[in-house]
Amino acid sequence: MRILIVDDSSTMRRIIGNVVQQLGVKKGDFDEAADGVEAWKILETNGQYDVILTDWNMPNMNGLELVKKIRAGGAHQKTPIVMITTEGGKSEVITALKAGVNNYIVKPFSADILKEKLDGLIKG
Amino acid sequence: MSMSQEEIEALMSGADDISGGDEESSDDSVGAIDNDILAGIEGITDDEPQEEESSNDNIDDILAGIEGITDDEPQEEIPTQDDSAHTIEEMIEESKFPLPVEKEHKVVNQLNEVAEDSEEKASQIFDILSFILDENGEVGDVFNQLEEFATKQRDLLTSLENKFPNIDVFKDNLEESQKSIEIIQAYKLRIDAENNKIFEAMEIMQYHDINRQKIERVMAVIKKLTNYLNGIFEDDTGKPEVQIAKHISGDSASTVSDDDLESLIGEFSNN
Repeated sequence: MRILIVDDSSTMRRIIGNVVQQLGVKKGDFDEAADGVEAWKILETNGQYDVILTDWNMPNMNGLELVKKIRAGGAHQKTPIVMITTEGGKSEVITALKAGVNNYIVKPFSADILKEKLDGLIKG
Repeated sequence: MSMSQEEIEALMSGADDISGGDEESSDDSVGAIDNDILAGIEGITDDEPQEEESSNDNIDDILAGIEGITDDEPQEEIPTQDDSAHTIEEMIEESKFPLPVEKEHKVVNQLNEVAEDSEEKASQIFDILSFILDENGEVGDVFNQLEEFATKQRDLLTSLENKFPNIDVFKDNLEESQKSIEIIQAYKLRIDAENNKIFEAMEIMQYHDINRQKIERVMAVIKKLTNYLNGIFEDDTGKPEVQIAKHISGDSASTVSDDDLESLIGEFSNN
């Protein structure tokens, strides 16, 4: 399973990377991007990903803009997206879901929660 | 307020309905999402986060209890506009504002520095935790090899002990072999427990990102406030700055009385 992790915090990217490794994903099977612009470049050049995990608040292009751009068309239009963010407001969750995210995790999260969400996406 | 997994799944189901229809019907669907479900979601809030109340610790008591802290520590002197030297603490204590506009006093600069520095330190902590995990992994591999060898030894000794029940050395070594396996397994469990603690620590490090975003929120407010204040106090009249009066009638004790005024005039007239 190939995963793209998008977060402007390098610590957060490492934490998420560590969790997905616990779930059996090999180190070479996930890539990282620090913002939406970088993520979009990777998506255009690095081939197909099975899941995209993205933060919301990031510089240059935020997570919501990235989700909308992905859903607008291209090779990853149907790729499952999980938003992992500190944004815990009801309206933000609804906005993200309307933009096309498949699941939503509020930070801080446990490895078990991410595992459940990823399992659900893979099986679903 | 915390939320159960069932409730968040229920929200996700609602999302399927949202994305399935056209834009207007999506809005209707959104409105229909059960508020009770959202209310139960862990980390989901209806209201803006409330500021936490700061505690008023008795700093003096704390300092008094710390060995090596003295009242007469040398204070860093900060130059002020009237050329008199004051420490930052004195200036704050005497409400002598504003502080000199220097890099270390610029609030947004300081907050940005804190955010960036803590990111760097968090990364270093993560390096250390990752190193320990990797080392534990290698130690675990060695234990696996030892366990495999010890198990083969135990099986061999079991066969020998069954075949030669009267030879004590086989029996004794079989018992020792069994103990060795149990010790190895116990240490493997300890390594697993230690790894779990490291994973817990890594999860807790998410608060670094959360706290950084709180700082960024404060920075954004200050920047907006700065722009607002700059705008509202901006002087676009083009009028040159006039010299201001130092003492005006109605001020407290600093204005001269009529008697004093006449006296002074008389005194200087005589000269």
